[in-house]
Amino acid sequence: MNVLGIPKQILALAFIFTIIIAALVVARMLFIPPSFGRYGHYRADAVDEVIAQEINYAGYEACIECHDEIYEPKEKSHHKGVSCEVCHGPAAKHVQAPDEFVPGAPRKRGYCPLCHDYNPSRPTGFPQIITELHNPGKACMTCHDPHNPLLPHTPEECSACHREIANTKRVSHHASLACVRCHTVPDEHLVHPKFALAQAPVEREFCGECHAKDADTGRDVPRIDLDTHGERYLCWDCHYPHHPEAR
Amino acid sequence: MVTNIMTGLQNISGYIYPNEFELHWGILIVVYPYLTGLVAGAFILASLERVFNVKVLQPVYRLSLLSALAFLFVAPLPLLVHLGHPERSFEMFLTPYTSSAMAMFGFVYAWYLMVVLLLEIWFDYRKDMVIWSKEKRGLMRFVYRILPLGVTDVSEKSILFDNKIGRIITIIGIPSAFLLHGYVGFIFGSVKANPWWSSVLMPIVFLFSAIVSGIALILIIYMVTTMFRLKTMSMPCLNKLAEFLLYAIIVDLSLESLDFIQRLYESEESIKILSEMISSRLFLSLIVSQVILGSIVPMVSLVWARFGRLPDEMRRMAYFIAAILVQVGIFSTRWNVVIGGQLFSKSLRGLTVYKMQLFGLEGLLMTGFLLILPLIILYLLSKLLPPWPDSEAKVQYSQAGDHGLR
Ligand code: HEC
Ligand code: HEC
Ligand code: HEC
Ligand code: HEC
Ligand code: HEC
Ligand code: HEC
Ligand code: HEC
Ligand code: HEC
Repeated sequence: MNVLGIPKQILALAFIFTIIIAALVVARMLFIPPSFGRYGHYRADAVDEVIAQEINYAGYEACIECHDEIYEPKEKSHHKGVSCEVCHGPAAKHVQAPDEFVPGAPRKRGYCPLCHDYNPSRPTGFPQIITELHNPGKACMTCHDPHNPLLPHTPEECSACHREIANTKRVSHHASLACVRCHTVPDEHLVHPKFALAQAPVEREFCGECHAKDADTGRDVPRIDLDTHGERYLCWDCHYPHHPEAR
Repeated sequence: MVTNIMTGLQNISGYIYPNEFELHWGILIVVYPYLTGLVAGAFILASLERVFNVKVLQPVYRLSLLSALAFLFVAPLPLLVHLGHPERSFEMFLTPYTSSAMAMFGFVYAWYLMVVLLLEIWFDYRKDMVIWSKEKRGLMRFVYRILPLGVTDVSEKSILFDNKIGRIITIIGIPSAFLLHGYVGFIFGSVKANPWWSSVLMPIVFLFSAIVSGIALILIIYMVTTMFRLKTMSMPCLNKLAEFLLYAIIVDLSLESLDFIQRLYESEESIKILSEMISSRLFLSLIVSQVILGSIVPMVSLVWARFGRLPDEMRRMAYFIAAILVQVGIFSTRWNVVIGGQLFSKSLRGLTVYKMQLFGLEGLLMTGFLLILPLIILYLLSKLLPPWPDSEAKVQYSQAGDHGLR
């Protein structure tokens, strides 16, 4: 039996391949969601599904209307960058029906350290405590108002906010040097650090005050020749001032 | 946990970005190009007999085809095991995404499996299957009746047609095999952010290393199977295999040296960290295993065994050892590409380490399983479609009487 002179092998294979291709076509019809490709290489309905999702967060602007007595002081406080719902959790339902759904408040001691516990990777100057040592056993709210976190008194140590630097310096060759030996710090910096910046040394001669050949310092201070030692760079391009190493 | 990280950190040198601490592509992704390379290499070897009429290779023709098939079945498995959601991979056939090199590999793979290998094997075995369906009993008889798809014609004309088509498919198959493995190289070579991978030579280097590994694989399988079947090996065939293996190694090694010299001379900003990586992390796997043990030693021993005056016994031994070393070398090549490409930081200032697991989906045991699986499949295939020269010849002489056709 030879249809149109086509060998049987070809017919048999053509049959098989037709089935495979048909199966692929059917699979495409069955499995590709109808909205696929309307906007791009994805399911367009996914966009609508995302839109249809319940809104959980209202945004801090929504709270102003009823809680302006909290919003206003907070807006001027150190926590101005921390949104209400970061601490109170999603409150969209509360905005719609304030009496039915009342958001909780994180009153436990464990909460604030999520941001304020000591962690070397936090940015320079971020206020950090060692939770275990910082007034243990008492809720943070007894001394700090979460909506206007002030310190009961001005910190005595720079380590309150620069703990990583302080810890580094403590084990360095410069351990005996006070921070203010090198930095000029206005008192205001301890209260509003971002408005009153501390000054850091800017010239290499500054380090020379102790390290130059003719400097008037103790004999234990290692000396270098300012004219020949790293003369084209600032000292702290090579030596980290809070942990200077010579090797 | 902490001690884990600490011991890990001690092995890191220089500066690396946090997301480079752990390698994303582990040993499974090493196995993937290794297996596809074996497929492409074995097929190209088979095509030598078919298209270029290298008659001495006849004893390994069918064996190469079946090995290519067995390894092709397993080739995508390491990728699937590596995926978190392997079932989603099939969506790339439903909604093809043409600008994704990885997604397009699915089509290259399907083409190669369906249009090249399966068809060629079918045309090659059809006559045998028809004859076996009359000889065998029970289940096997049933299987052999189904497989020819109802085309039971074993007239001389129809068998001639089989052979003609088989040849055409092989001719299509050669560029397809090049495509298959060149493509794997392309996937790596086109990662332009990675100086260790990004190179236009990558597809070609992959291709030739594929040919090297494929020939060596068939050499090993042929020697082992003939030994277990208590048959004598065809020495001219072995000699020819060894010769081709030698040439392929020479081309492969030259290409790789070319790539290396080019990089050295260009001296791009990455060269410092790359040479540091080669001299520390990759020293064993690149210098020792890939270059010395995997290329130079086999090359020398092949030259010595093929062209020196040696008894056949010694010669076979030397070929065998060379082929094994080549496998080790090519596996290291894949390792050096895949793992090496992730050991240095994109900052070009530090090196991390690869920590292999033993258990788990991406561990060493899984890898071992995936490397043994093709051999098991090959064993089963060889029960179904015996590739041995004697099993075919017997059928031809006694039943079909069409000897001299191939
Ligand atoms: C429509 C007015 C309204 C808006 C808008 C509103 N609240 Fe309230 N909120 C109330 C009222 C009324 C109460 C007192 C409910 C009670 O004590 O039963 C309350 C109580 C609270 C409490 C007290 C829970 C406690 O433990 O005492 C919190 C916390 C709170 N609101 C947070 C928010 C936040 C955050 C927002 C903004 C997302 C917000 N509210 C927006 C009306 C509002
Ligand atoms: C840093 C976390 C934090 C942020 C930010 C914050 N709150 Fe609170 N809030 C608290 C805590 C903790 C309490 C519980 C105070 C207590 O029990 O003394 C509280 C209590 C409240 C109460 C209960 C009434 C009261 O004064 O005890 C209301 C209402 C409230 N917050 C609203 C707001 C609104 C509105 C905002 C945004 C403008 C906001 N909170 C931002 C932590 C926060
Ligand atoms: C989401 C992170 C976050 C949480 C949670 C948080 N804070 Fe803060 N806190 C900040 C930021 C940001 C600042 C401002 C730091 C700056 O000025 O650089 C700050 C500042 C402060 C300061 C001011 C220190 C100074 O410089 O005078 C105090 C005190 C403080 N927080 C206490 C608390 C307390 C108590 C809680 C728990 C109710 C809390 N914080 C929860 C982020 C947080
Ligand atoms: C007994 C009162 C008290 C309690 C309770 C308390 N603090 Fe303080 N906190 C202070 C005082 C006083 C200072 C300023 C001390 C200083 O000079 O460092 C301070 C300073 C801070 C600072 C600025 C960094 C520093 O070391 O000065 C942060 C942040 C802070 N507290 C967070 C918290 C958090 C979070 C809690 C709850 C886990 C908490 N405090 C509980 C009294 C308290
Ligand atoms: C209440 C927290 C706080 C205390 C206490 C504090 N600092 Fe700071 N300091 C900061 C913050 C926040 C910044 C970052 C300011 C910025 O970059 O906007 C900063 C920045 C600095 C800088 C860098 C200024 C620059 O130009 O980048 C220096 C130097 C410095 N502080 C020194 C000190 C010294 C020395 C002390 C102790 C006498 C001290 N600070 C105490 C919060 C503090
Ligand atoms: C030996 C002098 C010296 C001492 C002591 C010293 N600093 Fe500095 N500090 C410097 C210099 C110099 C720089 C500027 C480095 C630069 O610009 O890269 C600096 C920069 C800083 C900065 C801003 C850059 C940064 O690394 O975050 C802060 C904050 C700071 N110092 C805090 C401190 C604090 C807190 C102490 C005390 C614990 C201290 N310093 C002690 C010399 C000193
Ligand atoms: C107030 C004097 C003083 C100033 C200012 C000073 N240093 Fe020092 N420095 C010392 C003393 C004291 C030591 C030695 C401490 C010891 O014996 O270990 C020292 C040690 C060093 C060392 C040697 C560390 C080693 O491994 O031996 C270096 C480097 C150094 N300082 C760099 C600097 C730089 C950079 C600056 C400027 C930012 C600077 N110093 C400012 C007092 C000073
Ligand atoms: C170009 C990099 C570079 C610069 C800039 C540089 N140093 Fe150094 N410094 C070094 C190196 C490296 C060493 C250790 C080798 C040596 O003794 O020369 C060193 C050593 C030192 C020592 C220890 C000497 C001893 O005898 O132990 C001191 C103190 C020192 N430097 C201070 C300074 C001061 C102060 C400045 C700025 C005026 C400075 N360095 C600038 C690179 C630098």
